[in-house]
Amino acid sequence: MLEAIDLSKKYGSQIALERLNLTIAPGEVFCLLGANGAGKTTTINLFLNFIDPSGGTARINGLDVTKKPLETKRFVAYIPEQVMLYRNLTGLENLEYFTALAGHEYSRAAFIDLFRQVGLPEGAEDRRVSTYSKGMRQKVGIAIAIAKKAEALLLDEPTSGLDPKASNEFSALLKQMSDRGVAVLMATHDLFRAKESGSRVGIMQHGRLVATMSTADIGHADLERLYLEHMHD
Amino acid sequence: MVKRIARKELVEMLRDGRFRVLSAAVLAVSLLSLAVGWKHYADVSRQHAAAQAATRDQWLHQTKKNPHSAAHYGVYAFKPKSPLAIVDTGVDPYVGVAVWLEAHKQNEFKYRPAQDRTAVGRFGDMTAAETLQVLVPLFIVLMTFSAFAGEREQGTLRQLLSLGVEPRDLAVGKAAGIGAALGLVLLPSAVLGVTALTLTSDGGFLSGKPTRAALLVAFYLIYFAVITAVSLGVSARARSSRLALVVLLSFWFANSLVASRVVADVASWLHPTPSAVEFQKAMDAELNKPEEMERRLDRRKAELMRQYKVETVDALPVAFSGVSLQEGENHGDEVFDAHYGRLFDTFDRQNTVYQLAGLVAPMLAIRSVSMGLASTDFQQHRHFITAAEGYRRLIQRTMNDDIMAHPTRTAYLAGRELWEKVPEFEYEAPAASWVLGNTRWSIGVLFAWLVVAAFWMSRPLATAML
Repeated sequence: MLEAIDLSKKYGSQIALERLNLTIAPGEVFCLLGANGAGKTTTINLFLNFIDPSGGTARINGLDVTKKPLETKRFVAYIPEQVMLYRNLTGLENLEYFTALAGHEYSRAAFIDLFRQVGLPEGAEDRRVSTYSKGMRQKVGIAIAIAKKAEALLLDEPTSGLDPKASNEFSALLKQMSDRGVAVLMATHDLFRAKESGSRVGIMQHGRLVATMSTADIGHADLERLYLEHMHD
Repeated sequence: MVKRIARKELVEMLRDGRFRVLSAAVLAVSLLSLAVGWKHYADVSRQHAAAQAATRDQWLHQTKKNPHSAAHYGVYAFKPKSPLAIVDTGVDPYVGVAVWLEAHKQNEFKYRPAQDRTAVGRFGDMTAAETLQVLVPLFIVLMTFSAFAGEREQGTLRQLLSLGVEPRDLAVGKAAGIGAALGLVLLPSAVLGVTALTLTSDGGFLSGKPTRAALLVAFYLIYFAVITAVSLGVSARARSSRLALVVLLSFWFANSLVASRVVADVASWLHPTPSAVEFQKAMDAELNKPEEMERRLDRRKAELMRQYKVETVDALPVAFSGVSLQEGENHGDEVFDAHYGRLFDTFDRQNTVYQLAGLVAPMLAIRSVSMGLASTDFQQHRHFITAAEGYRRLIQRTMNDDIMAHPTRTAYLAGRELWEKVPEFEYEAPAASWVLGNTRWSIGVLFAWLVVAAFWMSRPLATAML
């Protein structure tokens, strides 16, 4: 479970995030929409404890991320806009390395099985990732999250720059993760993907969460209209 | 976790083309410098042994002559080469390798290889020590400047830190990986060096100097650890890998190339030494004081006449010419001890400045320790000078005692029986503990660097690193 309680971040007099209150239950996919600088990435960085909050609390599975930074990171997986891997290592070596640093060990067969689960083609595991496409690298990111047995997933525009097919595949993987009970927080500009993949959608503006709604209660057109209203403000 | 990080760093490095090119260059230079050092050591040791045997043979086979003539005939004392001089030639090329031991004079050392070099010759020399002190740190800098900064630029650092990896573990793992890579590069040279030393040494493995060799290896490892920790610390804090490279290359340049020359000048300025001409002139002025010699001889005459209860010098049962010669030697010894003592004490003070300057540039610290353990620093040169001078004084006393024991109005001639009374010159180098005492400042400075650099490198920096 991911919780933000009055979570705030200021840089001098500039407000990056203002009193965010949000709870994302296990199995829920919450999509954060908003213009650049609205506070989406700041929220993710606060959950990862990459930056210190100016006020409030970010909790993962009930633990305060600033008080238990290492413990909370055990429950969470992070997939940025571009999953960056070590170019001189193979896909399998990368997966083994990141998984081992997260405290998990698997057999080679189990890792290859993970590669297949996330839809990476046969033989990809032994190729250096310098030959991987962006979509393939994002899938390795998901494989790391699965291998890590993450209970929460933080995604920062993960489908940006992916072709529609790769985006669809990625969304399907996200669905699998939420079906396993993973709480997902995804920052995105992609309204269509947010509506399709999310359980709830939130719109951020100038560091504030100005609207939240269930994706079941809103159509594509209404979501787009609402989003644009806040974008033009 | 640290082991895992280290293994990944090593694998990545081995697959990196830059590493392969740089390590090949470092390996080639270190092997070449060792080979050249070993050849030089083997040649010089053989020549010294032959020359020492020849000078002894000449001494024993000289014709019958007055002992004072034999004292002027003199002998050479050759400074033995330490097997570890293969690694570090230290000050040897500049201070000379042999000294002519004769009556009345404490001569300067002769045969300085540096004198025979052309102006550009010095740039062609690359000893194993210089490779270790200058080239290997450059190699470390080039392999580590992007360790953190590069990962930050690529985005992998965020991935790693999002997993809950402790920055300290990351730093230690990276340091271990770089250490392992460095070990792979230097191991062939180390094996070759030890093999060469074992095969070359007459007295068994390293001529009974395994302690010094082990200490030398240990201190170089500490030095490399310092450079690695400094590099990783800079890489973790620099905004970009380019900035990290600029900062680290500046540090390398100042540490390896500039500090030594600047500190040598500062030490000379703080503790100036006279020029060779001034020094000799001052010493000659003290030596050539007839009134001092007359006073000493009058006192000695009075003592002897009182001792033997005689009224005139001619009535003494000993040859006063021998007494007079020995008094001349005693006077000279006092002057030599005072002047050379002051000069060498000034060198020691300069050396202390040099050692303490290691606080600014760690290369100065490892250089002092390296020369010390290789028996090629000035302290050990002074130790040899003292031993050779002691031997010279033994020869003079033996010759003068013999003259005293043969009061005769005709010319007295001695032969092989007297020459054999002078034992062959044997020099025993000081123990490793003596060297450690002399280089205590440098050792302390190296350990201080290690502690501070390791602390700096491993400080948790999670937020600052992103």
